[in-house]
Amino acid sequence: MISDLVLFQVIVLLFLGGAMLGLASRNGRFARPIIFIPPMIGSALAVLFSIDILTGKPLSWIVPNMVPFFNLEVFVDGVSAFFMLMIGIVSFAVSLYSIGYSREYQVTKRISVFGFLFNVFVVSMLLVVSSNNGFFFLVFWELMSLTSFFLVIYDHDKEENIKSGMTYLVMTHFGTAFIFVSFLLGYLQTGSLSFDSLRNSSPSFPFLIKNLMFVFAFVGFGTKAGIVPLHTWLPKAHPSAPSNISALMSAVMIKMGIYGLVRIVFDLAGFGATPDFAWWGMLMVVAGSASALIGVLYAIVERDIKRVLAYSSIENIGIILIGLGLSVIFASYHLASLSALALVASMFHTINHAFFKGLLFMGAGSVVYATHTKDMEKLGGLVRLMPWTSLLFLVGAISISGLPPFNGFVSEWLALQALLSSSQIPSTILQISIAFASLPLALTIGLAAGTFVRLFAMTFLSKARSKFSLNIREVSRNMIAGMAILASACALFGIVPSLGISLSSTAFHLPYQPSSPFDAVSLQNASGKSFANLSMPVVAMMLSGMALAVFGFIRVMSGKTTKTTYGTWDCGFGNLNERMEYTATSLSQPIRAVFKALFKSHNESDKELYVRTNPYLVKSIIFKSSTRNIFEENLYNPIVSSTILVLDKIRKIQTGKINSYLLYIMLTIILLLLFVRLSHA
Amino acid sequence: MPSIPDIAIGIIQVLVIMALAPLMTGIMRKTKARTQKRMGAGLFQPYYDIVKLLHKDEVVSDQSSWIFRISPWVNFVAIGTAAFFIPVFLTPSPFGLVGDLILVVGLFALARFFTMLAGLDVSSTFGGLGSSREMMISALLEPAIFLAIFVVAITYGGTNLSTIVEAAANSALLSHPQLIFAAIAVFVVILGETGRLPFGNHSTHLELTMMHEAMVLEYSGKSLALVEWSQSIKQLVLFTLIANIFVPWGISSSILPLALGIGLLAFVIKVSTLAVGVAFLESSVAKWRLFRLPDLVAIAIASSMIGLVFYYL
Repeated sequence: MISDLVLFQVIVLLFLGGAMLGLASRNGRFARPIIFIPPMIGSALAVLFSIDILTGKPLSWIVPNMVPFFNLEVFVDGVSAFFMLMIGIVSFAVSLYSIGYSREYQVTKRISVFGFLFNVFVVSMLLVVSSNNGFFFLVFWELMSLTSFFLVIYDHDKEENIKSGMTYLVMTHFGTAFIFVSFLLGYLQTGSLSFDSLRNSSPSFPFLIKNLMFVFAFVGFGTKAGIVPLHTWLPKAHPSAPSNISALMSAVMIKMGIYGLVRIVFDLAGFGATPDFAWWGMLMVVAGSASALIGVLYAIVERDIKRVLAYSSIENIGIILIGLGLSVIFASYHLASLSALALVASMFHTINHAFFKGLLFMGAGSVVYATHTKDMEKLGGLVRLMPWTSLLFLVGAISISGLPPFNGFVSEWLALQALLSSSQIPSTILQISIAFASLPLALTIGLAAGTFVRLFAMTFLSKARSKFSLNIREVSRNMIAGMAILASACALFGIVPSLGISLSSTAFHLPYQPSSPFDAVSLQNASGKSFANLSMPVVAMMLSGMALAVFGFIRVMSGKTTKTTYGTWDCGFGNLNERMEYTATSLSQPIRAVFKALFKSHNESDKELYVRTNPYLVKSIIFKSSTRNIFEENLYNPIVSSTILVLDKIRKIQTGKINSYLLYIMLTIILLLLFVRLSHA
Repeated sequence: MPSIPDIAIGIIQVLVIMALAPLMTGIMRKTKARTQKRMGAGLFQPYYDIVKLLHKDEVVSDQSSWIFRISPWVNFVAIGTAAFFIPVFLTPSPFGLVGDLILVVGLFALARFFTMLAGLDVSSTFGGLGSSREMMISALLEPAIFLAIFVVAITYGGTNLSTIVEAAANSALLSHPQLIFAAIAVFVVILGETGRLPFGNHSTHLELTMMHEAMVLEYSGKSLALVEWSQSIKQLVLFTLIANIFVPWGISSSILPLALGIGLLAFVIKVSTLAVGVAFLESSVAKWRLFRLPDLVAIAIASSMIGLVFYYL
């Protein structure tokens, strides 16, 4: 047997080897397999490694003074292994998919750079979740951010991509600064950046320090996770990146923010089970509800496929945060089993979202690969041209909409049950406010189904809305296989959710374990009766039994009938064409009208008349409708413009004359001397 | 492990729902006809319609894909499966261990998901229009549904329908005032979910008033039979829910034949009364403008919120 440590080192070396191979390879026939097979093997090993950790003992490994003053500390416990498993499964599927997908880039760009960045990006995420030292955590965190930044601007020919890359770069460093402060606060108390010393001494920190550590970590990790209003980079960076990278970023990288938050809250910031800490949870519930609702509202009106998916990631991060927040609230009131329920809901949704969002981004990538457009208004009719992609995309769409019998339903069911259990909190204010917090969540779930009906229907169904070249073909087999892996994971975790639930509860040492594969969840009320039960395998059996019964019944009852194919009903006018179809924009018009306060949509129409005096005979109409982004306009633009204003003022001291610079130096020296003199006095 | 007779009774309850569903549609149509001083078709006309449609040839649009073809089946299977979790005339149900009220809502959402896709699949403007309106209404109804579930769940200690109906049957009348507010919300939700006036109008094919009818306009033959039947089943399931949660009179708690008979009778009377009531309401209100409907949903949500505050304070 190989020890866990050796396995861990092999995994890291495989990725680094893949990165080196990437740099060394030329744009030849074998370049793509050479680049993407090492990360595939590495990811598969990471999955094995994390399963081994989850079923066995945590791995701890320390290299003293790896760089001067700092020990490299690796500690992989259940929580780390849980996130590592998620990274492993998704990056395995994405690497397989990338072998086919990156063919497009081979023509125009050097794929070797891409291979290098891809490998480093994945391994840096694995290292983030396994580091046990603030210094190395930040180093790997930064490595992850920088490699993903370069991957976002990989398509740097387009001006727009550079711009969104810069937004990402600024926002991610804004977040890193906050994380850094949070760790520094711990350092000031313990004198060490090692997580072990934080873990041991944080329970005795002053209450204020604990709160500050949490708030800074919340802002910092929240920026990475994409919590509203810190989400602004997400809908820009994810669509700009190549689709396999968007899949990794959306499915896995933003979860590093969740990982960090979980670590800080439950492990490092000295959380204690007293009602004083309930506000941490309430903050997360409020931020989560806002993110979920605002994310999905922007998703449902967006027309760029990948941006829809990016906004929907914000929504799902919101759902995850609601679960996490509830867990903290329950824990602070000593409701251990409810806290476990909420945490399982949150973590199960985390891994589910990784699966279906990875799948959907790869599906969107396949559409872009085949049609070279991300604009829903130009797509349509792909279900006949790309049957496999559309089937797998549909699986992802159903899962993310939270519909049975797929995985999204189960985690949302758990989250709703956690909300319903809030009536056991002994505080009326919290009870009522959490009950009201279920409003945005329920609205989100309803709107999410609409979003994905719209996304799937506009992309794959009915007639194409623009003239495509006729040679759109299904994507290559390995791309389909990559998507199929995650689609089957969605189905498996939906039909046998006890797998995912026991995975999460093992990782977090939670008391809740499903007693049999048939038993997803059984909750009890105060009088010992069943509060709620859910057994997805039986539901799946009932659905298939019902399907058989109905099919048989209709076969017996109906006579011999034939099916005729004929044109769609056109009210007898004939000539039904694609310009008369509903478009993505018109489909979501009612939603835009209902939530007009948020969208501030602006309509403009320009009529050309046959006769100026008769407004009813119209020759042509030009209609423009636009929605505005209130966060950009009201929050970010003022900050950016005032920063530029201040910098402009400061620039005036840069005169370009050597005399004035000498003056500055002299003034500085005088000031410093004064400062030293006065501080010693 | 549930016993075989328990499961058998569960299945019989589903068959009762499926068999009675078209009758309720017939009763509602008859009531509407009589209030409009028409004779109207017979009570059993919906059954004849289904049988007739099953023997008709089908016309399928050349623009449609397999989504359009499987959608009626998914619809029927999802709604039919949801019927298993509803206590009809007997409270203890073995299927309570399998799923709860939230699963029922989820299965309805699955059916709606496919109906909306099918409406958009045929590239007809009618379908797009129906799906677009359904998308808005269903999304707005979701919080109203969940908040009503919230009130019911905290009052009766569960989302498990057997637990709810049993607790409801054992509690005194008007002992839980918050449930009156929840019942108002659920009633609005049912009007919206079944597309009844003032949300939509079943007996029209005018594009101004259509919602559900617009999405399924392209169906014919067997597929249309499935669509119509599953729509009736969904309606009866929702009627059963409101009847058994808020007025749980006469429901049986044991499988003695006499109790079961009374339960069945009480069930039929309750849902028929509800059907007649909804049909009267439909005759007396006009279709609301689409953008006034959010106000109605807001009333439902506010009503549940009042119910919640009532419970907690």
